[in-house]
Amino acid sequence: MRPAALLFRVAVAGASMEPTFRDGDWLLVRRLRRPPRRGEVVVASDPREPGRLLVKRVHAVTNAGVSVRGDHADPDASTDSRQFGPIPGSAVLGHAVLRYAPLRRFGLVR
Amino acid sequence: MDLRSLIAPRLVAHAHCDIPCGIYDPTAAKIAADTVAKMIEKITGATGSDDASRNTYIRSIAVKEEHAQICKKELLILWTDYFKPEHLEKYPKLHDTFWKAAKLCSKNKQSVDAAAAADLQAAVKEIADIFWATKK
Repeated sequence: MRPAALLFRVAVAGASMEPTFRDGDWLLVRRLRRPPRRGEVVVASDPREPGRLLVKRVHAVTNAGVSVRGDHADPDASTDSRQFGPIPGSAVLGHAVLRYAPLRRFGLVR
Repeated sequence: MDLRSLIAPRLVAHAHCDIPCGIYDPTAAKIAADTVAKMIEKITGATGSDDASRNTYIRSIAVKEEHAQICKKELLILWTDYFKPEHLEKYPKLHDTFWKAAKLCSKNKQSVDAAAAADLQAAVKEIADIFWATKK
């Protein structure tokens, strides 16, 4: 699934991005037309299963690709570039800009 | 159409680990290795040739075999599922340690050797120490 719109919404599934996102949070994602930057939260196509989307934070951008990681303090709680390696820049679809639901957790994504 | 369904995302972005909340613990391997050592004590200390004694003797061998296999299985779970490349960077001998420990499990099946059992217990302890160090 490659969203065509400039802005699109995703629902977070899973706990690997805690405490930034919790399971069930809704995010507004802006399509990226520039290379991703270190520290930004991105939505990317799963390198092991194209069509499946991942949400992770950019840990490093190198010649080998984009290394992404979950925010969760326990590395066991996230499957990310530590297991599947860097992903190609083209797999990064957008960066999360806003958490719009639940309302009590409304806020810009940092 | 209500507001909620209007603003609900139609896409899911996964923030998962492949093994949900994987629980890993080297204690299972330790108990298995300790059991192997205990069975070797029982086998070498066995006396009596009545049916009850022979039954205990043979059961001790069977339990030794079984727990050496459990120990190997538990070690393989830690080796292949828990430990990750960044652990290997920090503990470059990790693969060798696991390989030797797994071989010691086989040696304990093939023999009745208290020294081999002690070596297995030491190898499992070494792995447990690395495991708990990675948890700090």
